[in-house]
Amino acid sequence: MKFCRKYFCVLAFLLLWEALTRLGFLDALFFPPFSVVIESIIHLFKIGTLGPHISASLSRALSGFALATIVGVPLGLLLGGFYKSLNDVLELPLEVFSQINPFLLFHILILFMGLGESPKIAIVAWTCLWPTLFSSFNGAAQVNPGLIKSGRAFGLRRLALIRKIVWPAAAPTVFTGIRLSLGYSLFMLIAAEMMGASSGLGFLVIRSQEAFQLDRVYASVVVIAFLGLILDGLLFILGRKFLSLSLENYLNVVIE
Amino acid sequence: MKSAQTLNLSPNLGPSKPILKTFWVKPFLERLSALARKYGLLLIFLFIWELSGRANLVDQTIVPSLSTSLSSVVEMWNHIHLGLHIMASLGRVIIGLIIGLVVAVPLAFILGRLLPNVAAKVDALLRVFGLINPYCLFPVFVIFFGLGETPKIAVLAWVSVWPIYFSAQTACRNVDPQLLKTARSMNCGAWAIFFRVTLPATIPAIFNGVRIGVEMSFFILIAAEMTGATAGLGWIVHNAGASYQTVRIYGAGICVVLLGVLINRFLLVIKRAFLSFSEALSPSWLQNAKADHKPISKTTGYVWLIVFVVLMVFGFYQVFKAENLLLDATLTPDYRIWNK
Repeated sequence: MKFCRKYFCVLAFLLLWEALTRLGFLDALFFPPFSVVIESIIHLFKIGTLGPHISASLSRALSGFALATIVGVPLGLLLGGFYKSLNDVLELPLEVFSQINPFLLFHILILFMGLGESPKIAIVAWTCLWPTLFSSFNGAAQVNPGLIKSGRAFGLRRLALIRKIVWPAAAPTVFTGIRLSLGYSLFMLIAAEMMGASSGLGFLVIRSQEAFQLDRVYASVVVIAFLGLILDGLLFILGRKFLSLSLENYLNVVIE
Repeated sequence: MKSAQTLNLSPNLGPSKPILKTFWVKPFLERLSALARKYGLLLIFLFIWELSGRANLVDQTIVPSLSTSLSSVVEMWNHIHLGLHIMASLGRVIIGLIIGLVVAVPLAFILGRLLPNVAAKVDALLRVFGLINPYCLFPVFVIFFGLGETPKIAVLAWVSVWPIYFSAQTACRNVDPQLLKTARSMNCGAWAIFFRVTLPATIPAIFNGVRIGVEMSFFILIAAEMTGATAGLGWIVHNAGASYQTVRIYGAGICVVLLGVLINRFLLVIKRAFLSFSEALSPSWLQNAKADHKPISKTTGYVWLIVFVVLMVFGFYQVFKAENLLLDATLTPDYRIWNK
């Protein structure tokens, strides 16, 4: 019941969509009713098209995201927290590199890596790297220096200082970047798959569009949005477990 | 006493060379080393790029050297009107952003301040909309708006609406109640409270939303131009990639990077000049989030603003002229403008 109240508007929107197309206010050729879209999702599942596409997209997005997180978080924490003299040196190059558009890179990476999985994973990782890196950097740079000093006074060594003080203080900011980059990962991947791929949800969108199967276009859009919601929800569960974030905090974490 | 003073001063009053040294050489060296620290790494990177091309360490057809890429920028400027393409891309971003602002800001104020109950109900729906990938909406927008500029602008507007809306709505819900009470106790009317309290408290958040929106728009713009456009930087990249002119990809890439850095800097200057009154920080995932604390004079802000507006007006005028020329060219089969 609580769920219904919370998602009342979503349900109302879907009902409106259904009603408008069924009653003929919108052309059903261009706007298939929501029930038809759901039917086509089930149909795609049954004929075994959707499953492989979803798994292809998810594996690319998650491996790129994981790569970016593994590189970005430690690098950002180290640069922001410890090697502050490197800040001046790295500031401008990082600013310039962060502006290199992933889709420009795509064309160049294809020359290096060939077609296939690796350029797609690479551009997802490239896109996800920057929010993660900058937010860990700023998170570590904004740790209260008094805390660090008192940690030093208690005789903490570098690793213990990171584990006990810098990490807990920077974690919420780092988490902001991680959440944003998870959103970016799907976002960029779908676009990359629409540009050049032979599997994945983006490919499904573009192929259905070319075949004028609009119900399938809407079906893939719905599936992609749903996947985004699920991934975001999973990240929220992780955040609640490890950082004790409340839902209100979590929803506003990106736009704080 | 007096003699001691003169004694102390005497080395400083000596010949001019040591004074020069203390006055100029050391600060000069310091400034030089600061410059070297700031630009050093980038210069080294560019140097290595150039050198690897010159020394044939990498295949020139895959990684053309820096000078070749720069000369391709000049070549494109002269032969395919690079300036017009840049302006076309920039124009799309700006129009998308303006639409985003016009839709998101009033919506945020109405829902955030006037109808908080409705806002709580609609929130879930809007968050789902925010999660929908704008790029998959492209086919839907094409159905809605037809081919041409409109679907691209719609995608960009969609991208920039959500960050602006969510940050503005959160900020105007969280205006310091103390300030509102104070204003009310001073017998301010609703409009005065809006213009003097709520709006100034929300503008920094709106600005943060704009920064995110611009960043996302730039990402998605290049992709949107790659799929269906006849102008713009993304089109140049796509065209060059399809016809194996790798040099042009690099040339257009340099333009995209420079444009991105310039816009980022411009927004930062505006923020530091006009919005330094607020304690709201930039989003932590943006570069330069810590530079917000250093306010700069409003004059500098105005100078940047005026230069920007003049450049934009001039650029759009040129694009407008070129479009009319193109129209003429398509009416009379004279394609000189295409291959000059």
